[in-house]
Amino acid sequence: MLGYRALSIKQKQVVWAWGFLALPVLFYSIIRFYPTFGAIVLSFQDWNLLGDKTWNGIENYQKLFADPVFWKVFSNTFLYLIIGTPLSLVFSFIVAYNLDKVRFMHGTIRALYFLPFMTSTVAMAWLWRWFYQPVPIGLFNNMLATMAIPQFPFLRSTFWALPSILAPALWAGLGFQIIIFMAGLRAIPNTYYEAARIDGVGPWTILWEITLPLLKPTIVFLVVFSSIGFLRIFDQVFNMTTNDPGGPLNSTKPLVLMIYDTAFNAFDMGYAAAQTVVLFTILLVVSLVQLRIMRSR
Amino acid sequence: MATVALKDLVKTFDKTEVLHGINLEIEDGEFVVFVGPSGCGKSTTLRMLAGLEEVTSGEIHIGDMMVNHLEPKERNIAMVFQNYAIYPHMSVRKNIGFGLRTAKMSKQDKEKRIDEVAEILSMSELLDRRPSQLSGGQRQRVAIGRAMVRDPQVFLFDEPLSNLDAQLRTQMRLEIKKLHQRVGTTIIFVTHDQVEAMTLADRIVIMKDGYIQQVGTPTEVYQNPANLFVAQFIGAPSMNMLEGRLTNEGIVLDAGFTIPVRPKVAPQGMTIGIRPSELTPAKEGEAALMEGSVSVVEPLGSETLIYVDVGSTEIVATVPGRTLPELGSRVRLNTPKEEIHFFDTKTGQALK
Repeated sequence: MLGYRALSIKQKQVVWAWGFLALPVLFYSIIRFYPTFGAIVLSFQDWNLLGDKTWNGIENYQKLFADPVFWKVFSNTFLYLIIGTPLSLVFSFIVAYNLDKVRFMHGTIRALYFLPFMTSTVAMAWLWRWFYQPVPIGLFNNMLATMAIPQFPFLRSTFWALPSILAPALWAGLGFQIIIFMAGLRAIPNTYYEAARIDGVGPWTILWEITLPLLKPTIVFLVVFSSIGFLRIFDQVFNMTTNDPGGPLNSTKPLVLMIYDTAFNAFDMGYAAAQTVVLFTILLVVSLVQLRIMRSR
Repeated sequence: MATVALKDLVKTFDKTEVLHGINLEIEDGEFVVFVGPSGCGKSTTLRMLAGLEEVTSGEIHIGDMMVNHLEPKERNIAMVFQNYAIYPHMSVRKNIGFGLRTAKMSKQDKEKRIDEVAEILSMSELLDRRPSQLSGGQRQRVAIGRAMVRDPQVFLFDEPLSNLDAQLRTQMRLEIKKLHQRVGTTIIFVTHDQVEAMTLADRIVIMKDGYIQQVGTPTEVYQNPANLFVAQFIGAPSMNMLEGRLTNEGIVLDAGFTIPVRPKVAPQGMTIGIRPSELTPAKEGEAALMEGSVSVVEPLGSETLIYVDVGSTEIVATVPGRTLPELGSRVRLNTPKEEIHFFDTKTGQALK
């Protein structure tokens, strides 16, 4: 142990730090980075899971960008993102902002909002699938029928299927975002609001000029976090359109579902890997762009 | 500028009464300091004045208007908070201008007003900076600027110097005093620091446990404290308190000596108080009031505090800065008769 004793305090700290870091570094290298690089390499190959891997250059990517289904899936994925992220943020902020002021049954109400976040996505998706069924099974359409309103083709319309799937996804994520927003709101010192009250500015000014700017770190975190979530949406779609995953007519199919199909139904691993690399690139770019935009103001 | 009056002001939180009927008249342009230990109700009083806390009962008047049910913004007051409450995401100019948001003024007039205030606080060159680029003292000045810009009838300060280091606190104290002399607006200032209270106030309001203990000028509360609490709270180091009882020879103190004087009205159990600054070594050949041995010596430069064991009681006295008595040495101490304060031990009230 003489070698260790001879080290300076700083060096000893470094030794300990690396000692503790060794396990996660090893874990990440083997479980995360190695497969990621494997996927990138695979995206330039042709492989059906059983035979040999053969190099085929950028053929997978050429095929992908020429595939009309890919572009449909690409636009679906962005629809989930563009509708889902702002709506979920607005809803969760409204709830958090008002819940923050409620003292009565505060804990219970918060728990109720958080409950869906803890529930299994599969169970929830099947429950909502049932809600959306036509009469005499579906809850919503039965309610419409008793009020003599025509049926609504929730999951059967190529236009309405995507929003119908997005709704439970939004609802499930709300609880988490509310908790984060409330923590952000709590962190704003009360004197800021008291000073504003004395200055006599209205509630809108307080919201736009004090609360929201001071919540910026929270908002940045949630925008990035929820964007990644919506770009990777899968469970809800797969389970709610289980007869024809991603249907009707690919109108709800997100990128992850396309990857799943290509890999585990068509067994075209190289092509699936190319799609994965594209998704990874999109996630990276979107996150970086958001971070840049939100930080620079 | 305006007068302020508090009439039988009571505040309860849930079922606990924290203010028990505060009565106070503040004159136009007066600088009044509320001082007391934490939990005495001074900040609550200020917050009720600002309209941040509801009044449980009693009345608050600003000028000739009863303001109990007015929103803070309708009271024409401005407040400076302990943590400054300046917005980190706005420039100094925007922070100062925030108080003018609802003012019916043209944009040019607002800008002019902000520039004027910045000029008074000598921070014109800081207007475009962010609060994070400012020092603690500068941030405090921004907070004061934001209060000044609206030209309120009354300034409220809630422990505004507590977050500053000692040197800066002294400097800002002076600046606030100069500011008051310059603008002449009524100021109500809350602090727990008796030195701040003494140096700033036209009148000091000393509070404890939700009651006003004494209201008076700094000289009055220092020289004629109304009770034991005020006597010990005002002045540093604290006044020496010695319990005793009245006999025919005078007041026999538990510390083991007798004081041959007595007030006009004298109960049996009495406490006398002598400020350390007035308790000094007796001259050669002069009769000493008390005698004891030195247990601790604290040199302060200009003078030296000595802790003296007189009988079983420890007493603080002052000796000139250049002579440091040795530990354990005997000292004879004396004080002018008029510097001895008498209190009723049972009630704590001062006796004349």
